[in-house]
Amino acid sequence: MGSLLGHWPSFDPHNFSQLRPSDPSNPSKMTPVTYHPTHDRTIPPPNQVISSEAKNILLRHFYQRAEDKLRPKRAASELLTPEHGGKHPRASASASKAPPC
Amino acid sequence: MSIWNYVVTAHKPTNVTHSCVGNFTGPQELNLIIAKCTRIEIHLLTPQGLQPMLDVPIYGRIATLELFRPHGEAQDLLFIATERYKFCVLQWDPEAAEVITRAMGDVSDRIGRPTDNGQIGIIDPDCRLIGLHLYDGLFKVIPFDNKGQLKEAFNIRLEELQVLDIKFLYGCPRPTIIVLYQDNKDARHVKTYEVALKDKDFVEGPWSQNNLDNGADLLIPVPPPLCGVLIIGEETIVYCSASAFKAIPIRPSITRAYGRVDADGSRYLLGDHAGLLHLLVITHEKEKVTGLKIELLGETSIASTISYLDNAFVYVGSSYGDSQLIKLNLHPDAKGSYVEVLERYVNLGPIVDFCVVDLERQGQGQVVTCSGAYKDGSLRIVRNGIGINEQASVELQGIKGMWSLRAATDDPYDTFLVVSFISETRILAMNLEDELEETEIEGFCSQVQTLFCHDAMYNQLVQVTSSSVRLISSTSRELQNEWNAPSGYSINVATANATQVLLATGGGHLVYLEIGDGILTEVKHAQLEYEVSCLDMNPIGENPNYSQLAAVGMWTDISVRLFSIPDMNLVTKENLGGEIIPRSVLLCSFEGISYLLCALGDGHLLNFLLNMSTGDLAIAKEGELTIGTIDDIQKLHIRSIPLGEHARRICHQEQTRTFAICSLKYNQSNSEEAEMHFIRLLDDQTFDFISTYPLDQYEYGCSILSCSFSDDFNVYYCVGTAYVMPEENEPSKGRILVFLVEDQKLQLIAEKETKGAVYSLNAFNGKLLAAINQKIQLYKWMLRDDGTHELQSECGHHGHILALYVQTRGDFIVVGDLMKSISLLIYKHEEGAIEERARDYNANWMSAVEILDDDIYLGAENNFNLFTVRKNSDGATDEERGRLEVVGEYHLGEFINRFRHGSLVMRLLDSDVGQIPTVIFGTVNGVIGVIASLPNEQYLFFEKLQSNLRKVIKGVGGLSHEQWRSFYNEKKTVDAKNFLDGDLIESFLDLGRIRMEEISKAMGASVEELMKRVEELTRLH
Repeated sequence: MGSLLGHWPSFDPHNFSQLRPSDPSNPSKMTPVTYHPTHDRTIPPPNQVISSEAKNILLRHFYQRAEDKLRPKRAASELLTPEHGGKHPRASASASKAPPC
Repeated sequence: MSIWNYVVTAHKPTNVTHSCVGNFTGPQELNLIIAKCTRIEIHLLTPQGLQPMLDVPIYGRIATLELFRPHGEAQDLLFIATERYKFCVLQWDPEAAEVITRAMGDVSDRIGRPTDNGQIGIIDPDCRLIGLHLYDGLFKVIPFDNKGQLKEAFNIRLEELQVLDIKFLYGCPRPTIIVLYQDNKDARHVKTYEVALKDKDFVEGPWSQNNLDNGADLLIPVPPPLCGVLIIGEETIVYCSASAFKAIPIRPSITRAYGRVDADGSRYLLGDHAGLLHLLVITHEKEKVTGLKIELLGETSIASTISYLDNAFVYVGSSYGDSQLIKLNLHPDAKGSYVEVLERYVNLGPIVDFCVVDLERQGQGQVVTCSGAYKDGSLRIVRNGIGINEQASVELQGIKGMWSLRAATDDPYDTFLVVSFISETRILAMNLEDELEETEIEGFCSQVQTLFCHDAMYNQLVQVTSSSVRLISSTSRELQNEWNAPSGYSINVATANATQVLLATGGGHLVYLEIGDGILTEVKHAQLEYEVSCLDMNPIGENPNYSQLAAVGMWTDISVRLFSIPDMNLVTKENLGGEIIPRSVLLCSFEGISYLLCALGDGHLLNFLLNMSTGDLAIAKEGELTIGTIDDIQKLHIRSIPLGEHARRICHQEQTRTFAICSLKYNQSNSEEAEMHFIRLLDDQTFDFISTYPLDQYEYGCSILSCSFSDDFNVYYCVGTAYVMPEENEPSKGRILVFLVEDQKLQLIAEKETKGAVYSLNAFNGKLLAAINQKIQLYKWMLRDDGTHELQSECGHHGHILALYVQTRGDFIVVGDLMKSISLLIYKHEEGAIEERARDYNANWMSAVEILDDDIYLGAENNFNLFTVRKNSDGATDEERGRLEVVGEYHLGEFINRFRHGSLVMRLLDSDVGQIPTVIFGTVNGVIGVIASLPNEQYLFFEKLQSNLRKVIKGVGGLSHEQWRSFYNEKKTVDAKNFLDGDLIESFLDLGRIRMEEISKAMGASVEELMKRVEELTRLH
C-alpha cells in the first residue's frame, strides 16, 4: 500500500500547508461574493458567436456523395488527405452508414 | 395570493455536480472550479486552504464544465455547456478581475431526440475541437482554428444510439474519440473514431473492444506516455489501448466519480455509490502497462465529482451529502482509513420533502428538510438568523454573571466558565470528553457573588467580589495577592483587562489598580460626584493588554464619561438625556473605527464614535447603532441531523412536539442489498428517534400527515404506503396506517388496505383524503361498536394517470398528475361525491402543486418550470369554466419537490412586507426558495426594474436572462409571464452607485427609493 500512496503531486508545496481544519461538526461557512458583471465583455467578438451549420446532415451527405461522383478519378486520389491514410477510400466508410431517416 | 409572483432564492443550490482544477485566474494560481447546477464557484488554493473567490450565476443548468488551454495561452479557459443547448468559453481577466466571454453560441438542433443519459461535452486534449453528444445518433463538433478561435459547429452521424460515455483519446495524431455504448442486446462495447474535420465525418478508429462488463459506464482516458483508456465497470476495471488489455475484478460497486491524481495518468481516485474512495493504479514499466491495482482508501460523502487539488488534498463534491475537503494520509487511522475529512461544505440537496414549523414558538418559521440520500441522508433545520450550536448545557437557575477564562495566558481557547449567582460562584470546565463539568479553583472566593472576572498577564486570573480584588495563579490555582476594599465600602461595579483593574465603590469612589506578576498595585483613586452604574476598560488602542481610556456610566446625572488612564483625568462627558440610566458601557472597534457603546436600562443601545487620532479623545458623533458591516455572517443557519438513512417524508405534530418521518435504510452488509422502510418518531427538540414502526418487506412510506377527525379529539399521524413489488409496473397494493402518539410511542390505531400506492394524504372536512394511483379517495373516521375506529371509504374520483400531489382548500381539491398537469375537483356534501370542476389541458409532468388562493393554483413540473393556472368561474360556457387558464409561466431551472405555505422570517403584520403572502419551495439541488404574491402596483414597478436590470447586469458568458427565464419544454418555449426573478432584482443592491443611478434615471425614481423598495423585498427571506 505504501508504494501506491505518497509522492502526491504538488503544484505549490505551500498550498494547504497552513490549513486549520475546522470543527468537523460545523460546516465551513465560506461564502464567495456573487458576481454581477456590468461590463461589455460578456459579449464575445462577433466572429465568436458560434452557430451550427445550417445544412441538414442528410443533405450534406447527399451533396458530398454527388461531388464525389462528379470528381474525375485521378483528382480524387490527389484530394485524399493524409488523414485518411490513403488505405480506405471514403466511399466504403460512408456507405456502411445509412443516412438517418 | 395573486397571479403576480416574485420568485427568490433564500438558500442557493448546494448540490455539486461538476468540479475541475486548473490555472484559471492566473498562470501561477491553482483554482478549484465547482458547478452547483446554475452557479459556478471559483476558489483559489492557498496555504490556508480553499479560498472562495467568486460565486458566478449562470443563466442555464450546467451540463458540462471543462477547463482547457488552447495553444499559446498562459492560463486555462473554462468551457460551459447548458442543458438548454447554449455554451460559452470564459476567461478570467486578472487586471479587471472580471470574467470575460471568449466565445459563446447555440448548439441546439431543430430535430433530434435528446439523449437519455445526459449531455456529454468533451474537449480534444490537443485543442483541435470540442465534441458534444446532445441528441441520439449525433455528435456535434465545434472546431478550433489554428489561432484557438472557434468555428461553425457541425454534426456527424454517430451510429451508436445508446451511448453511455464518450471521451477523447490522448496522443492520437488525429482527434480520436472513444465511445462506450450498449447494443440492442444490452451488451456493452467500446469503439474508436477519428474525427475528420475537413470531411465532417468519422473515420473508423484504430481499435475497438467488444463485450465489456455489463455495468461498464465510465471511460477514463489516460494521458501520455501510457495513453489508452480505463473502462470502469461494476465488477471489473479494464485498461485498453491499441496494444494492451489488462483487467482486474473489483468488489461490486457503481463508480460515480473519478479524479486523476498524477499528470502522467498512473493513479486515479474512484468514488462509488456507497461513498467508498478507492485508488486505482496503472502499473507500468516505462511506457508499457503491466497491470492494474486498486486499493480502498476510506469513506467520504457519496461523490458526484472528485478533484485532486494539491499536496494530497482532494475535493469531493457531492449531490447526496455534504461536499468535503479531504486529505490522503500515508498511514491509516485507527479505523484503517487513509482519508481524513478536514472541511465540510453544506449541501441540502436533494430536498425530497420539508415542513415549516415554529419550534421556538417565536412567530418565525423554520424549515426542516429531508435532505441527502442513501447513507448521507439527514434532516436539516434551516432558520433565519445567526446560529448558535449547542455543545453542552447544564441547568442552572439565577445566574447573575458569566465569564470565560483561560488555563494559561497563551492558550488558544478558554477552559473555565465562571458562573456567578447571588450568593455563590461556581466554575465549570470542558473535560476531555467535551462535557461540561464543575471544577474548583482554590484561589477563587466561591461563597459570594462575583462582580467581574478576567484573564491577566503572567498566567493569572482576576476575580472581583464586593469586598476585594483577588489575583490567582492559573497554573497553581492559588491566591497570589488580594486588594481589599476600605472598610465600610463595598465594591459595586468593576472591570478589568490583562493588566488593569478599575472598580467603583459606594460613594462614587473610583479606584484604578495595575496587575503585576503576583501583585496588585493601587495606582490612582478618584472621587466622583455620583454613584457609578457601569464601567469599561477594554483596550482598543495599540496595546491589546493596556487601555489608556476608561468609560464610566453614572447614576443621577445620567451621563457617560471618559477618563484617561492612569491619571484618571476626565476627558469628556456626554449627558444622555432622559431618565434611563446607562447599564453597560463598552469600548470597542469595528473595522478600525473606535466606538463607545452604551446600553440603557430600557433596551436602547447608543453608540458614539471615538476620535482617537488626535490624541485628544473626544466623542465625535452620536447615532443609531448600525452593525451592518458585520452582516456578512450567512443569513440562514443550518443545523444538520445525520440519519444514516434516507428520509423521504416529514411531518410535524405540534400537540405531541414530535416529528414523524418515512425513511429507508440500505443494508449493505447483505450481499443482496436489502432496503428497509420505517416510520420513525422524533422528538422535535433533540431530534432523537423515540419510536420506530418498521414497514413490511417491499413496503414504502409514500405520504405522511398529522390530522384529527370529526368527533374525535385525538391528533393522529396518518401514513400512506405502497407495496413496491419487483414484478409490477405500478404498485397494486398499499396501506393507510393511523398512529397515535402515546407515551412517546407510535401506537397503530387503525389500518386500511388500498388498491395502490397512497401518494398523498390530506385532512379534508374532518375526513381523510387520499390519492391512490389514478384515484382520489375520501375516507370517513368511523367509531365501531367496540369503541375502536376504522377508516371507511366514502367516495372517490377516477380519471388520473397517477394522482401524485394533492392540496385542498374548503371543498376544493387540486390534483397534480404525473402527466396531466393540474385539475380541480370539488367535494359535494349533499351527494357525497367528488367531481371534476376544471383542468389544465397541457401535458405537464408535475412535481409539486400548491393552492395560492381560491382561484389560483401553482404548479412545478419536470422541465424545471413553474406555472400558475386560474379557475375561470365566470366563463360563459361549460367548456370555458372547465378549463384552468394558464396565467403565469416561468423557467426556474430547479426541480421542485415540495411547496409549503409559510415564511422563513419573522412577519410583522404592521409592515408592508408582512402583508405579502409567501410559499416556500425545496428542490433537488438543495435550493430553498420563496414565492411571494405582490400587489399589482408593486409587480409592475419591479417588472420595470427587472427589465432595466437586464440591460445593466449582463449574463455571464453572454447568456440571456430573458431566454433563461422563458418557459421551456419539449413542445414550446414562451416568454416568462407574471413571475419576476427576485435574484436579479435584489442584485440591484450589489451594484455600484453609478450603475444604480443609471437605473434610477431609467426608472424615474431616486436611488434611495429603489434601494428602500428592493430592501423591503429582501426581508421576505
